Amino acid sequence: MADEKAQEPLILIVEDEVQMLRFLRPALQGHGFRVLEARTGEEGLREAATRAPDVVLLDLGLPDLDGIEVTRRLREWTQVPILVISARGREEDKVAALDAGADDYVTKPFGVRELLARLRVALRRSSRVGDGEASRLTLGELEIDLEKRRVTLAGDAVHLTPIEYRLLAELARNAGKVMTHSQLLRQVWGPAYAHQSHYLRVYMAQLRRKLEADSAQPKHLITEPGVGYRLAES
Amino acid sequence: MLVGVRRAAWREYAWSLLIVLGSTAADAFLLPHFERANLVMVYLLGVMWAALRLGRGPAIFASVLSVFLFDFLFVPPRFTLGVSDSQYLVTLGVMLAAAILISALGARLKIQVRSARQDARRSRLLASLSGDLVAIQDRDGILAASLRHLQDIFESRAVVLLPDAAGRLSVAAGDASLLGPDAPERGVAQWAFDAGQAAGLGTTTLPESRCLHLPLRGSKGELGILAVAPADIRRLMAPDTFRLLQAFANQTALALERGRLADEAERARIQHETEKLRSALLSSVSHDLRTPLAVITGVTSTLLESEATLSPAERHEMLRTAAEEAARLNRLVGNLLAMTRLESGALELKRSWHSIEELIGAALHRLESLRGDRPVTVDAPPELPLISVDDVLIEQVLFNLLENALKHAPSAQPIQIRARAGAGAVEVSIRDRGPGLAPGTEALIFEKFYRGAAGSSGGVGLGLAICRGIVEAHGGRIRAANAVGGGAEFTITLPVGEDAPRVEAEPSLVPEAREIGDLDGR
Repeated sequence: MADEKAQEPLILIVEDEVQMLRFLRPALQGHGFRVLEARTGEEGLREAATRAPDVVLLDLGLPDLDGIEVTRRLREWTQVPILVISARGREEDKVAALDAGADDYVTKPFGVRELLARLRVALRRSSRVGDGEASRLTLGELEIDLEKRRVTLAGDAVHLTPIEYRLLAELARNAGKVMTHSQLLRQVWGPAYAHQSHYLRVYMAQLRRKLEADSAQPKHLITEPGVGYRLAES
Repeated sequence: MLVGVRRAAWREYAWSLLIVLGSTAADAFLLPHFERANLVMVYLLGVMWAALRLGRGPAIFASVLSVFLFDFLFVPPRFTLGVSDSQYLVTLGVMLAAAILISALGARLKIQVRSARQDARRSRLLASLSGDLVAIQDRDGILAASLRHLQDIFESRAVVLLPDAAGRLSVAAGDASLLGPDAPERGVAQWAFDAGQAAGLGTTTLPESRCLHLPLRGSKGELGILAVAPADIRRLMAPDTFRLLQAFANQTALALERGRLADEAERARIQHETEKLRSALLSSVSHDLRTPLAVITGVTSTLLESEATLSPAERHEMLRTAAEEAARLNRLVGNLLAMTRLESGALELKRSWHSIEELIGAALHRLESLRGDRPVTVDAPPELPLISVDDVLIEQVLFNLLENALKHAPSAQPIQIRARAGAGAVEVSIRDRGPGLAPGTEALIFEKFYRGAAGSSGGVGLGLAICRGIVEAHGGRIRAANAVGGGAEFTITLPVGEDAPRVEAEPSLVPEAREIGDLDGR
């Protein structure tokens, strides 16, 4: 936190509902963010271009532009992390936003703790882009070394098949962030497999059996129904 | 039937000949004992019999033949044909007159008998049709029964055409190919329907059609068209048969109208039930929404107005309560939304292949804050097949069932989840160690707005109704029972779905391949 104070990250909130802003503004300012607000998609796009925020918090239900469209237009020129706000029951919107390039999402209603956790993941990922990928990841007893291609659980090496490893590595490279089914399938199996989600189910089950204490109550490999998977950091 | 009469005519003349020969034989026997005038009487008797039974032609034939034979055989000089005695001309005249009179009488009698028989047959057939129709309520059943009877009575196949909202006819029952592939036949049907009169084959309107199109007349205009493709149109158009066909069409129309009225009554009843349900929902919802709202309002207003007088611990406790109530409110609204979608039929299953173990995990993950450190055990063997379901909805079912279990079971007791593969299905049961279900409520709890005796533990009584709706939409079943050893057990059974996908074994190095084998064999 100490180095964040020197240069507090600037967050652009694109949200048309005043009540939400009244909650978000003080909550984020209280946790070390500088806050910039936009009420419409067009205004958000303008602000993003002129003020260069460190992260964008984008509501999918805007009066003028579709949030997915805003994401797409932002991604035409910037890699700024985008966190979208959506409602439960709108899983296809979330998937569309993620596939359009959004980094993650929070579901309304959300607590400030969840929001901050997602924002931190997004910020850390963007700061990482400059100095290369973090090659080691420690999640409790689970350690993933992407450079040495080694996975250990409580110090013991875990033997993974090549696909299991590629799947875990893809999740580890995006640790904390949700990955959609089609993103994972494309990365691990190739574009031809983008809709073969049963491959994902089978291999996730195998991974869980090797890495989780109780594969039915996973602590690391989290399922987001209707959206995808997330490697939880805590 | 005319053809039938003609074909049988030679036989009647033969009978007539036989009768005359019989009379002759009798006379030959009687000749030595009686006057000739009496012998004529025997012939007259024969002629009267022929007239009565065989009709006019054979009777006249019998008269002429009788006089001829009498003259030839019995009037002296015998075995000659000269009519020496003019009195036998009178005999001939009387015989002819009797033959004509009696045969006319006999014919009229026969017609009367036949029409009486036909009346009886017609009323028997109509009675059997209406007897069948009375028992049937639904439109398709009525039409099928009607067409079956039509086939039996008239030996004709037929289709029924009914109009849509715009008044355009389409085939509602019967074999549409009877109308042929051509539009014109349907045009004739449409004309008959619009004009409200019979058309097509056998009528004066468009008689070159394939079928006879009869309007099905209800009390408020035409209900549809009965298009008959007869085996023999001339027989069908015989006045009696045609009247029977008309009566037949009327019976069908009557039944159709009755069915329609029953439908309307049923719709009105459902509408009424829906209204009742809606108002029950409204009162229930407003109560259940108000409780958490009251807590949140109370807490926040207290904090606003007397923040200074509260200790930090008190303040924290109040805020925690408010946050919990807000979360409850959120679940409630979620359930209401799900119920609305289920009810309106707007629920669309987005099926793909999922692992039930994974969905159980996702539901438990979402329940984390509600669950605290309550022990939950999951028993799901690795060889469970993937199932074709909508993951978001099935996760919601598991979430609701687990939330329900958490609500009713004492906090130290474990909740047990068990998944098993059955015949073409996967079964998941969730068992708590709570007080169990009141006897007789095992099915009731899945009804909307049903609350257990424990009651006010929150919720609108929608959670389990939603579970049932979702599971049934998947073609599955849900049931509840008291478990042996105490507690309630909820079980859902979900069909695996067709064409389960295969995931081919991963081509890999030997040690890793062995590992996969180990996994599969476990």
